[in-house]
This record gives sequence, structure tokens and C-alpha cells, in this order.
Amino acid sequence: MANSVGSGEAVRSLNSPKSNKNTESKSSVFSRRTTGDIIFDVINTIVLLLFTVIMLYPLINTVAMSFNDGIDALRGGITFFPRVFTMKNYQTVVAKQGMIDGAKISVLRTVIGTLTSTLCTALLAYVLSRKNFVFKKPLSMLYVVTMYVNGGLIPVFLVYKSLGLTNSFWVYIIPGMVSAWNMLVLRTYMNGIPESLSESAELDGAGHFTIFFSIIFPLSMPVIACVSLFTAVGQWNSWFDAMLYNRMSDNLTTLQYELMKLLSSVTNNNANVETMKNANNMVTPRTMRAAATVVTALPIVCLYPFLQRYFVAGMTIGGVKE
Amino acid sequence: MAKGGISAGLGVNESAKAPKNRINKKVLKNQKTLVLMSVPFAIYAIIFSYVPLFGWIMAFQNYKPKDGLLHSKFVGLQKFERLFGDDIFLKVIRNTFCMGAMNLIFGTVCAILFAILLNEFWSVKGKKAVQTISYLPHFLSWIIVTGICFDVLAMENGVLNDVLVGLHIIDAPINWLAYPKYFWWIVTFSNLWKETGWNSIIYLAAITSINPDLYEAASIDGAGRLSKIWHITLPGLKPTIMILLIMNIGNVLNAGFEVQYLLGNGLVQSVAQTIDIYVLKFGISNGDYSIGTAAGIFKSVVSIALIAIANRASKLMGEESLF
Amino acid sequence: MSSRKSLVALTTALCMLASMTACGGGNTGSSGSTEATTAAGGGEAAATTAADGGEAAPADGGDTASSGEVKEFTAFFAVPGNETDAGNDVQEVIASKIGAKCKMTWLTGQTADEAVGVMIAGGEYPDFIDASTGSQQLIDAGGCIPIDEYWDGYDNLKNFWTEEQWNSVRAEDGHIYIIPQFGNRWMYDTETVHNDEAFWIQVRVLEWAGYPKIETLDEYFDVIERYLEANPTMEDGTPNIGYEILSDDWRYFCLENAPFFLDGYPNDGCVIVDRDTHQAIDYNTTPTAKRYFQKLNEEYQKGVVDPETFTMKYDQYISKLSTGRVCGMVDQHWDFNDAEVSIKNQGLDECTYVPVGVVIDKGIEEHYHSSPALDVSNGISITTSCKDIPGALKFIDDLLSPEILTLRNWGIEGEDYLVGEDGLFYRTDDMRSKANDQAYINSHLCSYSYFPNYGGMDHDGINAASAQYQPKEFYDSLSEPVKKCFDAYGVETYVQLLNKSGENEPWYPMWSYSNNLTTDTEEGYVWATMADVKHEYLPKVVMAPDFEAAWTEYMDQYTSRCDIDVFLNAINTEIQRRIDVANGN
Repeated sequence: MANSVGSGEAVRSLNSPKSNKNTESKSSVFSRRTTGDIIFDVINTIVLLLFTVIMLYPLINTVAMSFNDGIDALRGGITFFPRVFTMKNYQTVVAKQGMIDGAKISVLRTVIGTLTSTLCTALLAYVLSRKNFVFKKPLSMLYVVTMYVNGGLIPVFLVYKSLGLTNSFWVYIIPGMVSAWNMLVLRTYMNGIPESLSESAELDGAGHFTIFFSIIFPLSMPVIACVSLFTAVGQWNSWFDAMLYNRMSDNLTTLQYELMKLLSSVTNNNANVETMKNANNMVTPRTMRAAATVVTALPIVCLYPFLQRYFVAGMTIGGVKE
Repeated sequence: MAKGGISAGLGVNESAKAPKNRINKKVLKNQKTLVLMSVPFAIYAIIFSYVPLFGWIMAFQNYKPKDGLLHSKFVGLQKFERLFGDDIFLKVIRNTFCMGAMNLIFGTVCAILFAILLNEFWSVKGKKAVQTISYLPHFLSWIIVTGICFDVLAMENGVLNDVLVGLHIIDAPINWLAYPKYFWWIVTFSNLWKETGWNSIIYLAAITSINPDLYEAASIDGAGRLSKIWHITLPGLKPTIMILLIMNIGNVLNAGFEVQYLLGNGLVQSVAQTIDIYVLKFGISNGDYSIGTAAGIFKSVVSIALIAIANRASKLMGEESLF
Repeated sequence: MSSRKSLVALTTALCMLASMTACGGGNTGSSGSTEATTAAGGGEAAATTAADGGEAAPADGGDTASSGEVKEFTAFFAVPGNETDAGNDVQEVIASKIGAKCKMTWLTGQTADEAVGVMIAGGEYPDFIDASTGSQQLIDAGGCIPIDEYWDGYDNLKNFWTEEQWNSVRAEDGHIYIIPQFGNRWMYDTETVHNDEAFWIQVRVLEWAGYPKIETLDEYFDVIERYLEANPTMEDGTPNIGYEILSDDWRYFCLENAPFFLDGYPNDGCVIVDRDTHQAIDYNTTPTAKRYFQKLNEEYQKGVVDPETFTMKYDQYISKLSTGRVCGMVDQHWDFNDAEVSIKNQGLDECTYVPVGVVIDKGIEEHYHSSPALDVSNGISITTSCKDIPGALKFIDDLLSPEILTLRNWGIEGEDYLVGEDGLFYRTDDMRSKANDQAYINSHLCSYSYFPNYGGMDHDGINAASAQYQPKEFYDSLSEPVKKCFDAYGVETYVQLLNKSGENEPWYPMWSYSNNLTTDTEEGYVWATMADVKHEYLPKVVMAPDFEAAWTEYMDQYTSRCDIDVFLNAINTEIQRRIDVANGN
């Protein structure tokens, strides 16, 4: 039995014969445009255009800054274009020792972390989306509360240490394996999937794992994509864990931690007076920070289109239907 | 496959309909797989989120790293008394709460609005482009975003002042960051600027779950675009909106640290200081872990109370709930 | 069928548990996801290898093949700093000479207290540590070894400070746990740049005014006012700004601490210490303080002070200074050094700054420049985690030997400096610019900056300890406008523009005490509250149309929220303690 509903394709053909028409049905709306529709489109276009311009500015500014000479940038006044062009910021960022090793670990933790976290979180969401499950409420509560309580830096450190997670790659993966926030988002979506789908599968003798992997998971793709993106970005951007738990393990450094070290070597807002006195003050890192930002965001920007198709409507294969 | 109508895309509130399940042997046996699957998750949560809570003892101690949690001196509620005995702290709570609430309200509204507008956009390519651009500011650190805010708000050559003076709305440039009355708005706007696109992703994903047939049917009935948004898209988004709203209500006291810290100054200190900043000033950075923990406990208690209330209200209205 | 399913579920459960307790193992383990399991498994293998390597690192397991006998120590400094690349040239040269090197990590994104607190909780330290403001915590927690019990035979280290100075470093139990690494001089002071706080004024302003003798606050602002009136803009049309007051976070000392300088006292940071009675005086409420803020208020109303000044962050402040438009301000030189670099780069040398020793009334002797001070609250320690204490002491000792000192401070002969016939070191322009290139510094130079080091002279007695103190090097780097200014005042260095520093008082500097106050003590709480009140009210006082009313309000707040006597009593106790220690009690 399990084999016969092994793929999302099968589910779709089984349950929603019309689903592939989604795209056409959307576009068919435009074939009957009224004056109201046109006014709406015009206003919508203007609003979005304005919005885009506002959003675009900081990005352009950051890129311009990243190509500008650091000392010159101190004067301020850089907007759309670099004033004194240089590649030096990027050279400094890329040439930093440990950057390559860090990047490898970052990729590894992002891939493994996203896979495990998405899968575990989705599984929990599945369990908690089963109607009538007896422990649904207590387990949900158990997880909801985790979002708002925090033992603090030192207790958490002690727990991780006693679990052997310090100086270990697993500290990047295991503590983030289940995210309550993502779980709730996924569960909400799964609640919206018609019960009849899993019920009929159950009647056919499918177990929970089969239902999860072959029906619910594929049907939740838009939100799965969304949650994976959040997790991946979180993994990719995080550096605090590398600093806190793996400070002494050079081979477990991450790209972001290396960047943080680079940036905070020059300024630190919390430094005290005699500290600054003794630190050798070099040129401010505003331009370097911009370059680091670009370097950081680039992989995500490249990854994005692959995920985007799942959650930008009109691009998806089909909505959930009965 | 019964035609579920609108409710198909909505996720009917199951708890209202479902008969209450008593825990007994038979049920447990029926749900054996689910129960077994839950066990590791429960243990996981306990180990990683609840065990570290033993650190909360610190709030009732004069914690010294040398003595550790076991041997530090207990001081009862002294740390809480110090927090709440300080008039400033009450102001700090107000600031945190107000900025958190503004952020919650405007952030949610804008993200939803943006997702819907984007969804209605006529060109798929344009849709993708706008969406891609809009989420990118999320990757800029606050220090970059606030740097740009300073440029925009500057008295000399600041875009905002230039425009307002040019339009004769104001006579002379205003030093926006010097006045407490503008501060919360500046923070709110900075948040919107950075996060609207990112936050809308989740709503965009939720929109995809809405049955396209519904739109078609509505078109045949002659419904306009606004009417379709109102009667189909928004109700379709409702479960997601409710869940996110409830969760984020619990976060109002986490209104942040960085924005306020980076934009604030002495003149607006009375409205800019948040709990986290206060704690850094009077606690952690001064080596007093206990006061930080006390403030953390306070935040947790308030957060849980808030979501409990919100969750209850949502349930009573027959909407989605967290538990 | 159903039993098989529950078996799967159970397996999943076990797998998850297993992975939670960090024994590794895939956490997926569910039906039909072999791919994910393999991926996780592969990751595990990689991570296990990595973890093994990681455990080896903190111990002194030598680096690799070539340098098999070189000991490698680890150090953590709870301050921001630049990481030295592995394989750094100078580091390798030193390692080949003394048979040891040290991998140094710095504070990133945390406060020193936090970082040290976590280390104490975990009970694991690197071999060396400078815990900065967390030093006391660390000593209390028993994280450091008593150096004086082990140091016999390491004379460079033992003689680094004098007997009396070491005494002032001793903890209550009589042991020495930290080695203050800064403020020591070989032979005599060679400081050329006043790196500390002063009222600063642009060279062009002084030139325009005919290099007047500026002694008082009123004269200082008078010159700026007149200059501004005569020169409202720079040559390119940018409006000049008379005066900036930085008040961003802890840098608000630029706003608040001038009153003790104006009264002729040195930078004790938190109080004035009466030289006769040895009693602490709160400088915030002195008549001088009121007059100073009234003056600032006047200047603000006149438009001499930048209207944006109190909303600026440090970045904006540096930006404004970098344009060369700002005539003057109070600041520490290291704090605006970046801006001066930028000004010079633009060729606006006449817009660089010189210090003026301004006091409130004529006749008061100013004390802006102090001799390098021994900061007894900070230093480097050897931790209890260090497995080779003699080796660690030898490392510090070796770093203080003449040859190594020259390597640390000047670099490698022929690459970083050349030696003239008279034995004087000098650098080519190329060497100078390389020495300012961060990437080059990271890969080539290694000053072991947070290990004990000397200022003043090099041990050869001919050269200064490092390039920035070398008189010829210094003079060559001066621009024409500054040279002209120096000539007009008859001085050769920035330091000479101020009064010569005498010997420091035994209690100096009191900031080494106040910086380490924590809010779990009454005096620490008062100290934090004082900062909070001043942060909010001082800008208001300066901007207020009605100064008197604003001042009264500020004083009301200040006296009602801060129990100043608690603070002063604690300071007095500390002053007395320091005097006693200096007297050998």
C-alpha cells in the first residue's frame, strides 16, 4: 500500500484532478478586466513601485559602500555610486584567514541543519495537527512556552557542555532541530489540508509515516519551502554559537564568525575606555561591513529563486484542493 | 471529495468540532504511533528548553561566577525589588511595550498588505522581482540600516528634511532624532523597512493554499478585485494571521535592543530605553547576572500571560489557536 | 503491520534521543528517507574528525610537521582586537628563537564580563587570559595561578615592574594573579603624541588667529567664535562647524568629564581627588561644572555648537570630523584618530588638531597629560587550565628579552625597518604604508600586543621602543601646517603643547577602580545611575533656552536619584587603600 501513494504526483492525480489548471484560472481573471480592475492595477503598480524604490535604496547604497575606499567613506555622503572605487574591502574580506574553512562549515551546517530541522519540525507539526491526538494540547503547550522562556547564557552553556556539545559540530545542528515557531506555522498550514485526504489513506491502511511523507509533506511544500528558507538563513547567518561553544576549535569556525571577528576587531560598541586606548585603531569598518554583507547575502540570493517558486502564487503547481 | 467551499482553504477550527478525547488505554493503543513519535519531541524540549531554566535561580541570588549556581548567596526577591523600585524601570516597560505593540500592529498589517498587493500584481516576472528586492533588506544588519536612517533624517542634506522644506511643509530642517515624540515612529518605520518583505513571505506561502476555484467562482459572480481580496484572500489567510498574531503578541516585550540602542541618544533616552538596554546598563555589562535574569523572568511571565489571553480570545472567537 | 509501524516510530524516537545526547547519529531514521540519513551520517563522520582536532588544539600539541618542537599556547583577550594569521612571519621568527608561540583570540560581540562569566561557569580557560573588566571575577573564581609562586628565575618578568608596583597589583591574599602589561617605559618616556583627552583645536584656526596663547575656556571659545564669524565656510563652500560634543554611549565623557580638567586635575575619570586631604570630590556638582555647562549652553544658543551634536552616533561624529569642518571639541586623541587619518588623506592638513590645556580661570595649572599609568585592575594571567606553567612563564619572560622586543615592536630588520649608520632605525615610505595595512599586519607583524611590553626606548638605548615614538620618524610624518604651528609655539611634539607630566599620585588613576564597579554593590549601582541621569540631562542642560531652570532640574534629578555619598565613601576607601599599598602596608 505504502508504495502506491509514494509520491506527491500520485496524490494529486488521485485527489484533485483539476489542480493543474491553477495557473490558467488565475490568468483568466485578467481576460475579463473591468474599469475597477484597471484602476486597481494602476494603483497597485504605483504602490509596489514606490515600495520597491524605498527597499532598493539601502541595497544599492550598501553595494556602493562596499566598493568605496574606507577612509574616504568616513566623510559620508555616499549614495548610489562609490566615490573612490576600490576592491580592497572585498579583498580584505576574502583574504581573511579561516574564511574558506569557515565557508565550508557554514555550508555544511546550513545544509544539514536545514534538512534535519525542517524534517523534525514538520514531523512534530504533523503529530500535532492530528485531530483527537490525546497529547496534542500538552505537547503544543510544552513547545509554545519554549518560545518565551530562556534560561540564560550560562545555564544553556552548562547544559550543552554536559551534553558534550561544546567543541563539536553538532552544536550547530541539534539545539536547532525543532523550532516551535516554524512548527506552529507548519501546523496551521497542515490543519488547512482537508482531513479527508489522510482519512482515505488511513482507510487504505497507510500508517502515519506514509501519510506524512506521501501526502502531508508534499502538499505543504509552500510552507515547507518557507520554513526551510527561514532555517537556512538562520543557520547561515548565525555566528554566536560558533563563538561561544567552539571558540577554541579553529576547524569548526563559520563564515559569519570570521566576518564578525574581522568587523569587531576594529570597533566594539561595548568596549571600555582603556580598551580602546590600547587597541590599535584602524580605519572604520563601514565599507568593510558593507562588503561583508554583500558576501553574506549573495549565496542566499542565489538560492532564493529555487525556493521562491513554491511560495509566490501563480508560480505554484497547485493549491490544496478537495 | 466533497466540495468544501471556502472552509477548504481555511482550516476549520477543529477543537470546536472534535469530541474531547479522554486518555484511556484504548485511545492510547489506537494512537500508539503518535504517542511514540511524541516522546522524543517532549524529551527534546525538556532537555533543551526546560533544563536550562534552572538558571532562573540566579534571579533570587546574588550570583557570582566563582560560587556558581549552587553556592551563590540567596537574596530572595531583592533583585525584583530593585528593578521595580526604580521609577525608570516602569518607564522602560512602557517604552518596550509601546514599541513592541506598534511594531506588531504595523508590521503585521504591512506584511499582509504587501503580500496581497504582490499576489494581485499582474506580471509574474514583476512579482518575482519585487518580492526578491523586498526581502533583501532583511540581510542588512541594524548597524547598516540605522546608518542609512541617519542619512535620511539628517538636518543637512537629509532626504526627509529636504523634501519637507521643499514642499514648504516645514520652515527649517528638524533634528528628528532629538525629539521623544518622533522616536517610536522612527523605530517602527525602520522595522517596517527592514522586515516587511521578509515577513510577507509566510503570507505569500499561505495564499498559495487558497483554492483557485474560489476566485474563478467569484469572478463568474461578478465580484471585483477588492471584493475578492476581502471575501476570499483575507479569510484564507486568517488562520495564518491569527497564529502569527498570537505568537507575536508574546513578543511585544522583546521590542529589541539594537535599533533603539543604535538610534537612541541622551535626549530621547526616556522613550528609547527598552528592557534589554536597561538590563545591559544596570545588569550584565556591569557583571550583575542576577538582575538580567530577573528581568528575563519578568518578560517570560508577561509573554506567557499575553499569549494565554490572546489564545483564549482567539478560541472564543472560534479561530485558530496555539494549544 | 501495525507492530512494524510502531517499531519504526520507536526507532525514530531512539534515534532522536541518541542524537540529542550528542552521540551523533542521524535524527531522521524514518521510512524512505535513506538519502537524508546518509547525509547526516556523512556529516557525523566529518564532525567527529573535526571535534577530535578541536580537542587537541587547546593543549600544547604542536602545530605541524616543520615546527614539531614549538610549544603552542592559547590566549584569550576580552577586548576587541585583530587576529594574527596562523603562519604569521614575525610570529614564526619569534617561535624559532624561543621555541613557543601563542594563538590569540579576542572578544567578539559580547561584553568582557559575559565572555569571562561563561568561561568561569564552564571551568575551561585558555593558557593565558586578559579578562579586562572581568578580571576580578576570574581571580575570585580561582581561575588564575599565583604568578609570584612560580616566577623565580624569570627575571625579565620579575623585573618588569618594581617591587612597589608589584605590591599594588597583589590581591587581598597577597598573591599576584595579573601582570599589567601596559604603561611601562624603558629608560624614559618618548611620547610624542598626546593620545589622551584635551580640548582640541584646528591648526587653521590657530593660524588665522595668529597663534594666540589660549589658557581659559572663555578664550578657547572666543577664538573659535571669531574664526567662525570670519570664515563661515570652508574653501569648497561647506559650512564650518564651531564645536562638536560627542555623547554617544560610553563616549559621552567628551561631554561630561571636562570639569575636572578645567579645575586642573588629572584624568581620574570618576572623581577629583583632593591632593592634600586625599578626599574624593564629585566633579559633577562643582561651581566649575556649572560654569562649564553654562558656557556650552551659551555657545549652543549662539550656534557655535552643532545643533545635531547630541543625536550623533560615533560614526556620524567621525564623519563630520573627517570633512575637516569642525573647529574644535573635547575628546581623547585615540578616539578621533580615524578622522584625522581621513583628513590627512584628503590633503586638508590645516584641519588637523592640536591639544590646548584649557582651564576655567587663569592661574590654575592644567594636568591634561599624565605619565603612562600602571593600571592595576587589568593584566594578563596564566590560568589554572594551563598545563605547562613554567613554559608559559618562560614565554612571557622571553617576550621581554631585548631581541624579541625589537621584533615585536619594529618587525624584521630589512623588511620592516632599516638601520642607519648611527644605529638609528628608519623606514621607507613603502614600509610605513605597509605597517598601516591591516592585511599585512595580520599576516606579517606580530606584536603580541596584550603581552607585557615596554614603551619609551628600545633596549639598545638608541631607538624609541617603536616607530611611532621615534623622533625622526615622528617629525617626518608631520605636515607643513603642523610644523608651522609647532614653530610658532616653540615646541617639537604634541605633548609639549601641554604641561609636562609629573609623577603620578599613588592613587592615580581612579578610573581603574570605577570601571570595575558592578551593580550588585551599592556604589556600583549609584555609579551606573549617575551615568544614566547625566546621559539624559546634560544634553538638555546645554540645549535649554533657560539654563538656570534646566540646571536646577538636572541637579534635582541627580541628587534625588543618586546617593552620591555612598559612591564617594567607596572611592575614599579605595584611595586610602592605594595610598597604604604604595607606602608598603
